[in-house]
Amino acid sequence: MADTLTTPATPATPATPATSATPAGPTASAASAASASSSPSAGLTAPGAPDRAAPPYGVRETSAPGRAPGRGGVLLARARLVAQRVTAVLLLLAVWEAAPRAGLVDRVFVPPVSEVAAAWWDLALGGALGEHLAASLARSLSGFGLAIVVAIPLGLLIGWYKPVADFLGPVLELFRNTSAVALLPVFVLIFGLDETSKITFVLYACTWPILLNTISGVKTVEPLLIKSARSLGLGPVALFQKVVLPAAVPTIFTGVRLAGAYAILVLLFAEMVGAKAGLGFLINDAQANFRIHDMYAGIITISVLGLLFNLLLVTVERRFSTWRTT
Amino acid sequence: MSPVKIAIRDVGKVFRVRGADRPFTALEHIDLDVREGEFLTLVGPSGCGKSTLLDLVAGLTEPSTGEILIDGRAISGPGLDRGIVFQQYALLPWRTALGNVEFGLEAKGVPRRERAERARHFLGLVGLTGFERRYPHELSGGMRQRVAIARSLAFDPDVLLMDEPFAALDAQTRESLQEELLRIWGKTGKTVVFITHGIDEAVYLGQRVAVMSSRPGRITEVIEVAFDSREGDLRADPAFGEYRHHIWTRLRDEAATAHHEEATPVG
Ligand SMILES: Nc1ncnc2c1ncn2[C@@H]1O[C@H](COP(=O)(O)OP(=O)(O)OP(=O)(O)O)[C@@H](O)[C@H]1O
Ligand SMILES: [Mg+2]
Repeated sequence: MADTLTTPATPATPATPATSATPAGPTASAASAASASSSPSAGLTAPGAPDRAAPPYGVRETSAPGRAPGRGGVLLARARLVAQRVTAVLLLLAVWEAAPRAGLVDRVFVPPVSEVAAAWWDLALGGALGEHLAASLARSLSGFGLAIVVAIPLGLLIGWYKPVADFLGPVLELFRNTSAVALLPVFVLIFGLDETSKITFVLYACTWPILLNTISGVKTVEPLLIKSARSLGLGPVALFQKVVLPAAVPTIFTGVRLAGAYAILVLLFAEMVGAKAGLGFLINDAQANFRIHDMYAGIITISVLGLLFNLLLVTVERRFSTWRTT
Repeated sequence: MSPVKIAIRDVGKVFRVRGADRPFTALEHIDLDVREGEFLTLVGPSGCGKSTLLDLVAGLTEPSTGEILIDGRAISGPGLDRGIVFQQYALLPWRTALGNVEFGLEAKGVPRRERAERARHFLGLVGLTGFERRYPHELSGGMRQRVAIARSLAFDPDVLLMDEPFAALDAQTRESLQEELLRIWGKTGKTVVFITHGIDEAVYLGQRVAVMSSRPGRITEVIEVAFDSREGDLRADPAFGEYRHHIWTRLRDEAATAHHEEATPVG
């Protein structure tokens, strides 16, 4: 299901090949000079030689493969990519506009996009949209934020203590496979219909991807890295802090990103079932009262919101895992 | 003669294997002294227990029998007196070359300012000046191994334990790194235990070559390697060929007996 959200890690920054070859300090230059005289083979340590001679290992491709563009070429390629994506969206909008007008779909149920845009604008100007958006965001972000605060430390703890992880494994597996949505009635029963129930519901749904990813991130740290750190005499605390945690960060972030998507998804559902504000309420209420344009305005808002949220998380994720090979 | 640095006394190592009814004896009756400042190579067929022995000396695992002494004291776990270069490059992928070398210095508690300087110096020593800011995945295999070597040298251990560090490299790179290593050894006077399954490499690098056999892993012979002169192409020296042939015959005979024993079930 949400696996489709896992976009492959794309290069974040163009790698800059080292170009300066200044010997480090007095000691280092003396050492490399000495080595240069005693190792004629391949000029391995000749000062200034290595970086220029070396092939650009791992220099990441920033443009379409199969081309070797210069700076202008890169810009051009990027512009082309953007154009490609925008074109698809524009095409969709065009179809949405044309189909109702041409009578291909009933324009009462699917009004042209331009009319929806006008309705959206009215909603926004009237302040209603802002209110609903604020209500939804507050719930989503609270639940999501709490889930991060709770699930990451808990996951680290469970993952680090193997017996605990093994003990809790089956239970976690059970919860993972129980749709949060199926449990909404339970939340309503326990917490009622107010904010608490919605925030707890989001918190619950967001906890699982973060928790499970954190556990697996900690458990799957390359054993050789742990061995090598142990050989340096690192104690358990330093080992955790310097090896296990950084190694697990990318996996944890994948969980956080999934949770971000859930935060909006499940909240919407909760708001449709019982709420007096929020985008889910807006969509449902508009539909019930046959304000079809407003309904679509709400839908567009939620999808743009989801898009932006995911974009934000992907950007943060990239910043934290530049080292990861693609 | 210099004092004994590492004393391996009647060491054995037994692994419990899942699913097997009998435990697996990886090492048996290993007796070996490594003198201070010595360059000892350990050669043997794949799976004979070389890495297992190295882990024991590193203090990462404990022997099932016998004991290992360093400077006359039984070892109790890993320590910064021994630097290890693992068979697979064990670099932290989220740290740059410089950061990886600094890792060992952090463990030792070297002040931050000094760390960067020392790390730079040792990266220069292995010929990686200009690559300090590269991440491991932006380096070639040989470069990664050199970072690992720089890391082990940087925190200045007395003993360097190296597990087939050059096995995955092409002949050219390997030879230049071998020379590099000998040069560094000559300069620093460290005690080196160097594992390899290459006979040439063992003879070329080692002052002594310990030959191992498998199943169970044992040291069958320790050969003193001495050349009149190390000038010129050592590998073309007739003495080199003799050592080489001697070890080769020894390993081949072992392999033949091992094969024979396998074919005739015992017990
Ligand atoms: N943790 C373990 N549990 C069970 N058996 C092990 C374990 N570690 C090693 N062995 C066994 O011990 C033997 C020696 O392994 P070791 O890794 O020391 O070989 P090696 O000489 O380093 O080989 P190579 O040259 O291929 O690296 C092998 O038969 C291996 O299967
Ligand atoms: Mg090995």
